[in-house]
Amino acid sequence: MSATFSTEGLGVPVEVAAIDGELKKLWEADDASTNASLMNFLVYTEEPDKLVANSEMIQEFTRENACRAVLIAMDRKAPEPSVKAWITAHCHLAHGRKSICSEQISFLLSGYSFGRLRNTVFAHLNSDLPLVFWWQGEISDLFEERLYSILDRFVFDSSVWSDPAAGFAKITEAREQTRDHMVTQDLAWTRSYHFRLALAGLFDDPVASRAFPDLEKVTIVAQKNQRTTALLLLAWVAEQASWKTVTSNKSGDVFEFDSKGGRKVTAEIEWDDSGAPLGSITLAAPDCEVAVSRLRGNKHLNQSIRTEGHKLDVSGPADADDSSGLVADQLSRGGKNSLFLRVLPRFLELLGGRH
Amino acid sequence: MSQIPGSAIAIRGKGWQLGAVSNPFREDLVSRNRPEACTVVIFGATGDLTHRKLVPALYNLAVDGELPPGVQILGFARRDWTDDFFREGLEKLNREVSRTGHDEEIWASLSASIQYHQSEFQDEAGYQSLAERLDAIDAERGGKGNRLFYIASAPEFFDDILLNLKKVGLSDEREGCWSRVIVEKPFGTTLATAQHLNSVVNGTFEEKDTYRIDHYLGKETAQNIMVLRFANAIFEPMWNKQFIDHVQITCAEHLGMEGGRGGYYDKAGALRDMVQNHLLQLLSLVAMEPPTDLSADGVRDEKVKVIRSLRQWDTPELVAENVTRGQYTSGNINGKEVPGYREEDRVDPESETEAFVAVRCMIDTWRWTGVPFYVRVGKRLPKKATEISIHFKEVPSVLFNASPGGVPDGNVLVIRIQPDEGISLRINSKLPGTTLRMEPVKMDFHYASSFGKSSPEAYERLLLDAMAGDATLFARRDEVEEAWRFIDHIERAWHESDDPPPMAEFPAGSWGPKEADEMLKGEGRKWRRL
Repeated sequence: MSATFSTEGLGVPVEVAAIDGELKKLWEADDASTNASLMNFLVYTEEPDKLVANSEMIQEFTRENACRAVLIAMDRKAPEPSVKAWITAHCHLAHGRKSICSEQISFLLSGYSFGRLRNTVFAHLNSDLPLVFWWQGEISDLFEERLYSILDRFVFDSSVWSDPAAGFAKITEAREQTRDHMVTQDLAWTRSYHFRLALAGLFDDPVASRAFPDLEKVTIVAQKNQRTTALLLLAWVAEQASWKTVTSNKSGDVFEFDSKGGRKVTAEIEWDDSGAPLGSITLAAPDCEVAVSRLRGNKHLNQSIRTEGHKLDVSGPADADDSSGLVADQLSRGGKNSLFLRVLPRFLELLGGRH
Repeated sequence: MSQIPGSAIAIRGKGWQLGAVSNPFREDLVSRNRPEACTVVIFGATGDLTHRKLVPALYNLAVDGELPPGVQILGFARRDWTDDFFREGLEKLNREVSRTGHDEEIWASLSASIQYHQSEFQDEAGYQSLAERLDAIDAERGGKGNRLFYIASAPEFFDDILLNLKKVGLSDEREGCWSRVIVEKPFGTTLATAQHLNSVVNGTFEEKDTYRIDHYLGKETAQNIMVLRFANAIFEPMWNKQFIDHVQITCAEHLGMEGGRGGYYDKAGALRDMVQNHLLQLLSLVAMEPPTDLSADGVRDEKVKVIRSLRQWDTPELVAENVTRGQYTSGNINGKEVPGYREEDRVDPESETEAFVAVRCMIDTWRWTGVPFYVRVGKRLPKKATEISIHFKEVPSVLFNASPGGVPDGNVLVIRIQPDEGISLRINSKLPGTTLRMEPVKMDFHYASSFGKSSPEAYERLLLDAMAGDATLFARRDEVEEAWRFIDHIERAWHESDDPPPMAEFPAGSWGPKEADEMLKGEGRKWRRL
């Protein structure tokens, strides 16, 4: 069955072969605006009805990230192959003065046609600018070598995958094939950025620092659908602390580690769908507790150290709730994401329960 | 194991060592030196700088999650204020000026760490009680703590503050903790006074713990100069006397002496207020050799070589030839009548202080010999703009000289420091048509268009660097003194010689005196039209 939804908001419908010419006309018609682009930002989904929502997301995204946006929705169930395209521009006043615009091309690809996704990508990039590819949803068989070999940054969210191990196997293969040229960005990892930053800051405190070798319990609270988010955070803690993974329970939410000093450390993930996606992490030693937590919908993290005679409470920024916010935050930080790659084997170990 | 300069912290294989305890969570998290929690003591806490720049900078660092948890702020000043009154004033200004707006929750968290300490700057007892107060803060925080002293007071109190800090032992290093000092400009008014101040500072704090702030170095575009030069293969091969004809550095200000600034400015003048520090710092970034590494001393070693290589204008005749000073007369800016310099509020009606200066700087190094660096700065110019322009030599006139109009001017690379930060390159292009006509066109990069995210304020970056023990963006003692050596010759020619070079005049709202234009015109060049 082919997709039926309103395409209002995607802009002007255009013939695919005429896209470049129509874009040129679009800019020639407006002398007052500046077309700016730092990258090709490609958003791909296999849920066609997300195309309009993605366009709305790009409207916000381009406020801080000038780009050529290419939105592609694939309706794989449609009986006949067809392509529809639209163009538009998202404009914002920069510092209240100049109108800065990013152009957007949207595609709805229906039915099956071999190699069409990658060819659509190849044909509509701004040359020389980096290509950031955000793959929404499960990684399908269309994620193939000729496509990923041209990507500079590949963004995905492992928390929405039904089989994270299989998804990461594809990512690992792609990284190997591209000889690590492609930077991978898991939004489940980005989601804990400020938690990690806050935790690191708290352990600069002499009291928390002294308690570090005696840590014996880690508790993470997260929504049930954020399993990979929670596991990545735990994997980071264990990897940084050089704890050796010893056991995990059957349901994969209780783990035991050996610390460098030979102390047993228990880690538990508690599920709470009424809280924030990532609700809290608490690291406890016999006489000290270090915690970072967030209430649902709150824009701040509460950071605390509790020990006898010493109490510290600080507020700090929290990570974005929405995926586009996470993508924007990550792009503003840049980098090769090498810490994620270092933590990944430990995460896969926790995910698969292989010890 | 490697030692981090300026701190008792060492990296041992993995993670950070603080005494015997490590923080492995820091590893690989952010690609910059780690700022450490400390108590920031601000001298001159009731002043404008504290309210408009320093505390908003600390607040914005907290908003971005960059401020280490546990940072305390202690304002030190003479006025009889309470903690609450101090906080209220800071909050009011933060609402007005903060780059990221005002978030109640973050402010509440930061505000809880702000205190006020009342004392005269000369009163030793006030420093004794400051020490006790800092000990109490540290005790509450669970042990010894780091201390960052920020001297933002009027310059006449610098000596008192530093000497009293030493007397009560607050500048002493304590095991596992650091004490650092940030000194605001003006860092001296002559070479002699700068040397004196340096001896007082270094008699109190070690050089590695001394941070002489020049906020121009904290600006994003100033930091980008090194990136532009050394991270792009296309520029550096041409960055020398073979390809560059000359360099211009302009710092134009449309404002005059509003808000009572005439009192300070009339004592300082454009040369001491801007050229000695900000503009010579920019010049050294443009002209320096590639450093061996990005360590503070690696970069500053190269910068100071540039300042040391400046040809000295050490006679009144050389000053007259290479430096133009001027004062504005009444005129019109943005449709408004404005007074002349000598009619400005708090300016001596017979003032001999320059409100404009243009200097031809010659750098006697292998790379730059024969390439003039023209530096100009002034008040009441047509607009506010700071930029560096690199003027490349013209192409040999062998191919296109027969075409109508010949070849337009050479290529110009412009680095705009403020406002509208960005980089542009002027190149020559053929006009469409059947004849061969050429016109210059501009390739332009604007930070604001390309990066929607606003850059951090210079003070945010610099405060964080000081907490992290990274002095790269701060001036070192020898840089400051060498800059004063260059400036002193000019000042002496103006104020101590029997036949001082004349003071030129220009109408407010114009681009400076015609004498400054003549300085370039004689060499077949002209100031860039901004």
